[in-house]
Amino acid sequence: MSEDAKDPKPEAPKPVPETTTAAAAPAAAAKPAAPAKPAPKPLPTPVYNEADGRLLKERRLWPTDMWRDPWSQPRYRMAWVKLIVLVAVALGAALLLGEVGRFAVPVTSFLLEKGAAYGLPAWAPGLVWALVKIVLVLHVPLLSALVFVWWERKISAHMQSRLGPMYVGGFHGWLQTVADGIKLLLKENITPTAADTWVHRLAPAVVVAPALLAFAPVSFGKDLSAADLDVGLVYVFAMAGVSVVGIMMAGWGSGNKYSLLGGLRSAAQLVSYELPRMFAVIPVIMFAESLNLADIGAAQGGYWFGVLPRWFIFYPVVGQLSFLIFLIASVAETNRIPFDLPEAESELVAGFHTEYSGMKFSLFFLAEYAYMTLACCLAAAFFLGGGTAPLSFLDGFLPSWAWFLGKVLALVFCFLWFRWTFPRFRVDRLMDFNWKFLLPWSFANIALAGLYVMVLS
Amino acid sequence: MTEYFSEVFGSFFAILKGLRVTFVTMFKPAVTVEYPTEKLVPYSGFRGALLFDAETCISCNQCVKACPSSCIALENATNEAGKKVAKVAWYSIDFGKCNFCRLCEEACPTKPKAVWHSKDYELTFFRRDEMVRCWKKGFDFVGLYWDRGAQEFKKPEGQVQIQTVQERFQY
Amino acid sequence: MSSTQPLPHGLKSDQLFVNLGPQHPSTHGVLRVGLTIEGEIVVKAVPDVGYLHRGTEKLAELRGYPQCVVISDRWDYLSAMNNNLMFCLAAEKLLKVEVPERAQHLRVVMCELNRIASHLLFFGTYGIDLGAFTAFLHAFREREMVLDLFEMSCGARLTYNYIRLGGVMKDVDAAWLAKCREFIEFFKPRLKEYDDLLSFNPIFLDRTKGVGRISAKQAVAWALSGPNLRGSGVSYDARKFEPYCGYEKYDFEVPVGKDGDCWDRYYCRVLEMHQSVRIIEAALGMMAEGPVMGKGVAKVPKPPPGEAYAHVEGARGDLGCHLVADGNASPYRMHIRAPSFINLAILQEMLVGERMSDVIAILGSIDIVLGEVDR
Repeated sequence: MSEDAKDPKPEAPKPVPETTTAAAAPAAAAKPAAPAKPAPKPLPTPVYNEADGRLLKERRLWPTDMWRDPWSQPRYRMAWVKLIVLVAVALGAALLLGEVGRFAVPVTSFLLEKGAAYGLPAWAPGLVWALVKIVLVLHVPLLSALVFVWWERKISAHMQSRLGPMYVGGFHGWLQTVADGIKLLLKENITPTAADTWVHRLAPAVVVAPALLAFAPVSFGKDLSAADLDVGLVYVFAMAGVSVVGIMMAGWGSGNKYSLLGGLRSAAQLVSYELPRMFAVIPVIMFAESLNLADIGAAQGGYWFGVLPRWFIFYPVVGQLSFLIFLIASVAETNRIPFDLPEAESELVAGFHTEYSGMKFSLFFLAEYAYMTLACCLAAAFFLGGGTAPLSFLDGFLPSWAWFLGKVLALVFCFLWFRWTFPRFRVDRLMDFNWKFLLPWSFANIALAGLYVMVLS
Repeated sequence: MTEYFSEVFGSFFAILKGLRVTFVTMFKPAVTVEYPTEKLVPYSGFRGALLFDAETCISCNQCVKACPSSCIALENATNEAGKKVAKVAWYSIDFGKCNFCRLCEEACPTKPKAVWHSKDYELTFFRRDEMVRCWKKGFDFVGLYWDRGAQEFKKPEGQVQIQTVQERFQY
Repeated sequence: MSSTQPLPHGLKSDQLFVNLGPQHPSTHGVLRVGLTIEGEIVVKAVPDVGYLHRGTEKLAELRGYPQCVVISDRWDYLSAMNNNLMFCLAAEKLLKVEVPERAQHLRVVMCELNRIASHLLFFGTYGIDLGAFTAFLHAFREREMVLDLFEMSCGARLTYNYIRLGGVMKDVDAAWLAKCREFIEFFKPRLKEYDDLLSFNPIFLDRTKGVGRISAKQAVAWALSGPNLRGSGVSYDARKFEPYCGYEKYDFEVPVGKDGDCWDRYYCRVLEMHQSVRIIEAALGMMAEGPVMGKGVAKVPKPPPGEAYAHVEGARGDLGCHLVADGNASPYRMHIRAPSFINLAILQEMLVGERMSDVIAILGSIDIVLGEVDR
């Protein structure tokens, strides 16, 4: 880039050209006039490098300078402005789009009409509609993984006083994940010599497939679910349980001791935490009297005293307890800190995906984020009322999917927040915590919920 | 019983305290810079890559003696009569060995210093040849390196990056 | 521990040999520990050192005394000031040089700042070892400020070569002192944050309390020093018991632990940061005016034949240097008492019977620097 492109180029300290004056320059520079009163420190003027035209930062603004008055920094102010604009644009888009579920009926009738007009058999339009739904639902985990990876990077960076990705895509590095995805796609696909080749190759698919399948019955809003299963809840948990097989396969098939340890730990952990996670949902089922995810969401509509929403989390004691247990167990199920024992990178290098590279590795990564999204969707549907508005006067202000998305994002933020705050559990304490703390309390919770149901009925 | 609950709630609040720290930090400005597009200027007196000026040097060998890793080599210049004069014929620094310890700069008796640390911290090399920088009469402060393949002196392109101002200190 | 245990139904279990290192994310360098594990329990642990051996003790025999200071930077590269100081104290004993008052104060300030930087790195990496990433970058944020202070005073951020025979390299100006005070003021509330973030986090307590116990007797028997020894309840600090650089003038406490477990060793270091802050404040308050370089240090010093031993309280323990001079410009023999190396030896006893995941917690709590272990 040419130096003329940089408009605000004030008089940069000109290079001292020859040897004779070079010695005098620093002496002159190091003689600032001492002000009588400590005036507010002016921000340094930008200086560009003579050699390559890059911005030279005046020797570091210390945190002491930056944190004292953050609002005086244009960059900090700009970040807030950008954030507010982003939220406003998202809200505007949601208002503009309205309920997406309302398109379902016209589209199906359109398909049926066209099918009949072209003389197709009766099942053909249904098949097309099912395929459309599958493609749409597949986008949820895939796109959310892209967004959440970027979001996690930004959140973690700001929690650690860093900036995170800033370059790719122009706006705060929003294309960073895509760039990384392309990089992973182009990487060499390595299979270790010691690996059990087929098991090693199949494992990522076995991990990622159920993660995608489990999204089928999730109700993303009013009339927004791919499959309206009556046993949706059981189906989701059953599917999520399959992944442990893939992780075991990865651990065994890699032919690496660290992978094996990670795989075995993972199996123990995932199987254990399934229990409290399931039991935490049982009170919800008892109150909602349904296993259908859309019905559970709908059962939480309405408001107590006209203000407080009838979400399960607001049921005294039972709701909070099961929400906490569900949240903790979900974090454990998704192998995230503080429960990321299977891939504990300081102990087991990278656990079960030590030997994976390129796209196979990214499939594991994708599965992790898909499960995180799934867990947040479930928690939002079970405890936070699905697509209902949090306050009565906000009812109908935003479409139900927007409320749902907002709740999911809030929960994902909690997941990220936990991850970047806590250290890791130890493997035996992890089990203790599950079997001696979470499980008994989830039982007690069920008993309490039974009491509630008895009294209420 | 009370012990159990106090432990549980104590842990819970300790966890919330930790969460508070990260949450508060999230809304404070970041302290890092975007390195390749923004660069920090080191403080004056930074010990970066060494620079040399063949015009100032009196070829006293003090820096060679002071160097702990013997990365400096030089040869006296001679006049027509074959007598040594107080100038260098050539002077070389092997940056592969350099410790960046400033002992040579301190030992240098000339004013201004003939060998001194610049602020350049981006000293990178693609080949070993480039690590050995050579100076002669007419070479600039950055020096040239001897390319063994091409058998000629080459300019180390873009290697003094941080600024072309070369500070020299007097003690 | 028994070895292979018979299982029912004629099945056999076997032990697993795991190479922890030399390339492993949390061996803090190139340490290799050969672990024999049974399930998750360690049966045998053999630390293997020497991957970073550079023969600096031998190198010193070929170099002059001022040049040895440069070498000393490379042992414990996280607290190079202490290394410089330790070598200079030994050499000054041989040369019989008086160090001016201001240089003494500057040495104390620099060494304590360096101790803070080193302990911050320990704090951060220990967090990483146990899975807490944010602690690491929070610690580095403050460490960066300390390194900035060093860069301002001596131009280097890691290998300082600042403390010289007879004094220090360069005087600091009033701006530096103001910056240093600014850092101290910034740092105090951060220490509180560290406690919230990591020290008293229940998961962290769970990981470190009661893990890797070293009894006081054991610690003395294995010649541990520094926070590892003090964590076990033995109050020994070279700054207190054999003061150098005028440490007797400063009012500070020696934090000691009770149980000698990982948490005690960890928290000893955190408390030491509090004490370092105290010392720096006091030193900045009583900073004397005057020269920073003693008289009578030749360019190529040739001490009379003799021996000298000096030791300082480094960030990792009792750091000592034995110098033998034969009247030449370079030492006849130099030997370093490297605390990391000696502290590392206890691993083979400590790790047996611990869990695989505790191995990292224990290894981290010993806080070794491989540059110093292998020298």
